[in-house]
Amino acid sequence: MLEVRNLVKHFGGVRAVDGLDFKIQQGEVFGLIGPNGSGKSTTVNLVCGVFAPTDGEILLDGIDLGAIAPHNRVDAGVARTFQNIRLFSELTVWQNLWVAWRDQPGQEQGWVSNWFGRSPARRQEIQKLLEFSGLGDKADHLAGNLAFGEQRRLELARAMASKPKLILLDEPAAGMNSAEIKDLCQRVLAMKEMGMTVLLVEHVMELVMNVTDRITVLNFGKPIAQGTPIEIQNNKLVQEAYFGSAENAHGGVS
Amino acid sequence: MDMYLASVLTNMTLIAFLALSAYLVLVVGEVSFGQQAFFGIGAYITASATALAGAHVFWGLLAGAIGGASCALVLGLLTIRLSGIYFAISTLCFAELLRFFLLHLRFTQSVDGRIIGPDGPEGFSNIRWIFENNYQVTDFLLLAVTCLIILLIVLFSLERSPIMLGARMVGNDPILAQSQGLNPTRYRLSFITLSGAVAGFGGGLFALFNTHIEPAMFGVMLGIHGLAYAVIGGLGSAIGPLLGVFLDIGLLESIRSLAAYRMIIFGGLVALLLVFRPEGIISPRLVSHLKSRWRNRHV
Ligand SMILES: Nc1ncnc2c1ncn2[C@@H]1O[C@H](COP(=O)(O)OP(=O)(O)OP(=O)(O)O)[C@@H](O)[C@H]1O
Ligand SMILES: [Mg+2]
Repeated sequence: MLEVRNLVKHFGGVRAVDGLDFKIQQGEVFGLIGPNGSGKSTTVNLVCGVFAPTDGEILLDGIDLGAIAPHNRVDAGVARTFQNIRLFSELTVWQNLWVAWRDQPGQEQGWVSNWFGRSPARRQEIQKLLEFSGLGDKADHLAGNLAFGEQRRLELARAMASKPKLILLDEPAAGMNSAEIKDLCQRVLAMKEMGMTVLLVEHVMELVMNVTDRITVLNFGKPIAQGTPIEIQNNKLVQEAYFGSAENAHGGVS
Repeated sequence: MDMYLASVLTNMTLIAFLALSAYLVLVVGEVSFGQQAFFGIGAYITASATALAGAHVFWGLLAGAIGGASCALVLGLLTIRLSGIYFAISTLCFAELLRFFLLHLRFTQSVDGRIIGPDGPEGFSNIRWIFENNYQVTDFLLLAVTCLIILLIVLFSLERSPIMLGARMVGNDPILAQSQGLNPTRYRLSFITLSGAVAGFGGGLFALFNTHIEPAMFGVMLGIHGLAYAVIGGLGSAIGPLLGVFLDIGLLESIRSLAAYRMIIFGGLVALLLVFRPEGIISPRLVSHLKSRWRNRHV
């Protein structure tokens, strides 16, 4: 489904991503973890086209994403959330979802109803998504006035609204308390249940270990390990990268 | 109607075009210090078309709008990779460049013993359209207000369409907008071009009303006023810039005893607003809030 080949991104002298390879299977929740500054967000940004890679290829279902303009990638099937919540805070919850909305393939509404946003079928679908996200009664609230947890849920709903082939979640649990993390676990598992493919970037091990099928660990932009959650937990290199050995003391779980 | 009142109102209407053009650029998230140049270009083109080529005023104004739009499009293309302060400075440079061009523009003709046409720094005199058509100040006011109302109708329909929503999204957060499938570059270019058309059209009206124009009229102070009106009024709705125009020209200039202190009061007003309502009087937040309250009441 998603195939990343020898991905490289340099910012001046900083090698943010330095030769990354991985493959995500259809319907899988794939974890991407690593210490701070190891290049996880940069990888997400490369897949979404915020940056152009210095080298390497990103293929989605065999199609080279590099040939697709950044603003067309959502229609190519890539949706994301941001590490720091990004919403149109002066617009309503509804409008935030509305812009992201893509009809299920085969059920597209004409541009006239699109233009006026009046298609009742679509309204119902959006309302359903709001209910799923626990925002059923907040459609007319300004996104900026939502509580933190609600904003995170709205971001997730927005990513789902575009019916993507692949959802990239960049630290969706950051800043959440343990109850919210449990709720998020359920949500991600429910997404998997629905057949979605997810790339999960996360520091919160409770989430990573419970929902992912496979994990790649990054350190200084390079993959240092890949495997199931259990394998990763027992991997010496990973433990060193996270908890520091003599020569690498800067990492840390935040 | 009192002549003085009519001419103040006409000036307000003309400056409203400039403020609205600044507003359209602000909506897509950029600040332009160059709208006065498109206003000036429009003025020169409309003046040339009507006074030199003898075109009908409709075509003259249309040509002014197209001229303003074309210059703005060139600016948009030149600054396609710039944003923020770099974009703002580029607009200023570009505007001064256009004004420099006007300063050196000379092609005069003698019509019935009168010298007509752009004459370098002396400007373009004898734009006699309003005399030839026997327009009184109030007649012209009516024309200008009609044009402004038509523009507002267009802008309000735009405001209700996904285009404006997309533009506001691009203005708020281009990276987020891009991730939602909106093309920030296309929105920016379209809105900058549209802003040029609005300014050019307003400039055309200005030339017809003033009957004399010169490059010095289209300096940066003019643009800064237009920009300030849009910022004071707020970016929530096209009414915002009009409110800004009204507050400055309408209130301050009409109270003649204050005339000497106008710039001081205006400056103070801007400073106060930036402290208490940094998003302008009619801010996007206020408009969203009112809209959702209105909707709730009618469900
Ligand atoms: N736009 C940029 N310009 C320059 N350097 C950047 C840019 N974005 C990221 N970097 C650098 O690239 C490296 C990787 O950053 P990245 O944000 O991908 O890390 P991360 O794994 O997401 O870390 P965290 O867990 O803190 O979110 C860092 O050294 C960072 O400073
Ligand atoms: Mg990150």
